[in-house]
Amino acid sequence: MISRINALVIAVTLCFCGPLLQIGHAQQAQTETQAVQVIGLAGLRENTKGTLTVVNGTLRFVYAKGKTDVAAASIEDVVTGKDSQRVIGGTFGTVASLAAPYGSGSALPFLRKKVDTLTIQYRDPAGGLHGAIFTMPRGKADPIKKELVAQGAHTSVPILADYIKTLTDSPEEKR
Amino acid sequence: MRTNFRNALAVFVLLTSCLAGQLRAEAKQPAKMKASAVEVKMIPSDEVTLPPEFQVSLYENLIEQLRKRAVFPRVYRDGDRDAGDDADLITLECTVVKFKKGNETLREVTTIAGATSMTLRCEFTDKDGNSLLVRDITGKVRFFGGNLKATYDFAKKAAKVAEENFSSGTAAS
Repeated sequence: MISRINALVIAVTLCFCGPLLQIGHAQQAQTETQAVQVIGLAGLRENTKGTLTVVNGTLRFVYAKGKTDVAAASIEDVVTGKDSQRVIGGTFGTVASLAAPYGSGSALPFLRKKVDTLTIQYRDPAGGLHGAIFTMPRGKADPIKKELVAQGAHTSVPILADYIKTLTDSPEEKR
Repeated sequence: MRTNFRNALAVFVLLTSCLAGQLRAEAKQPAKMKASAVEVKMIPSDEVTLPPEFQVSLYENLIEQLRKRAVFPRVYRDGDRDAGDDADLITLECTVVKFKKGNETLREVTTIAGATSMTLRCEFTDKDGNSLLVRDITGKVRFFGGNLKATYDFAKKAAKVAEENFSSGTAAS
């Protein structure tokens, strides 16, 4: 009897949470994040800063001088990763770490922030393979990957949620 | 009179030795192979696991450096349909032999540890699949820069190898 009530409670909860989850998904579809294009996009210099978003089936990178679109359907692989980068980087960071008095500059490399990486491989209209790497604040790469996959991009590494689902589904299949 | 003769002899010996050295150097250098186009294949991550960002960075840097050096008038990407039109197209395939991901922080603090290094076997093949040149090339980042800088180092060296061994033009039969 108790188990029936429990099942009913869960069912009702799911009924109420379902629409909420859909709203959450709809919000994810408008994910926009600050990103750095490390390498790969045609016509862009390395380490170009901009905004990354997924709009109407394309991955859009908007930077100071324009924008670049990559169709989600043309993406053969999208993979996320984790890395870290110096808070005080570039030439200034290097000079500062060398010139700081009493060896205090050696502490500068420890001032790091965690970042997410998003790596994509896609084909141009002529069939040529391109690769591009982006870095963005932590936790921002997975939603973008999810959106890209939902809009037709392929991935060699399954999204974590899918992976967990397959893990939970498999014991039931065995029964 | 004697001094003049000695001077002339000294100049002659000097010139001869210089000329001989130059000739020897030229004889050592193999004739450059001719190719007007190259297709760069994506670096696979099969035997040695390579993180995807390194894979892409190696590929993109390689294309960029080959274009910069202008050894080949045309540099095609993996799978480019236009590549098939070139009669003397060569293919560049690089496979990872060794890869060690370092640590940027450790590198900058200790200056002796944490280096990122990778060795790739680069093989240039002609249209029929015959191997033209095979070289193991290493890319490293020892002190400044992120781990991906090793891919830039590798690409620069690989483009230099291409420049030393190939020249643009019609392929010799």
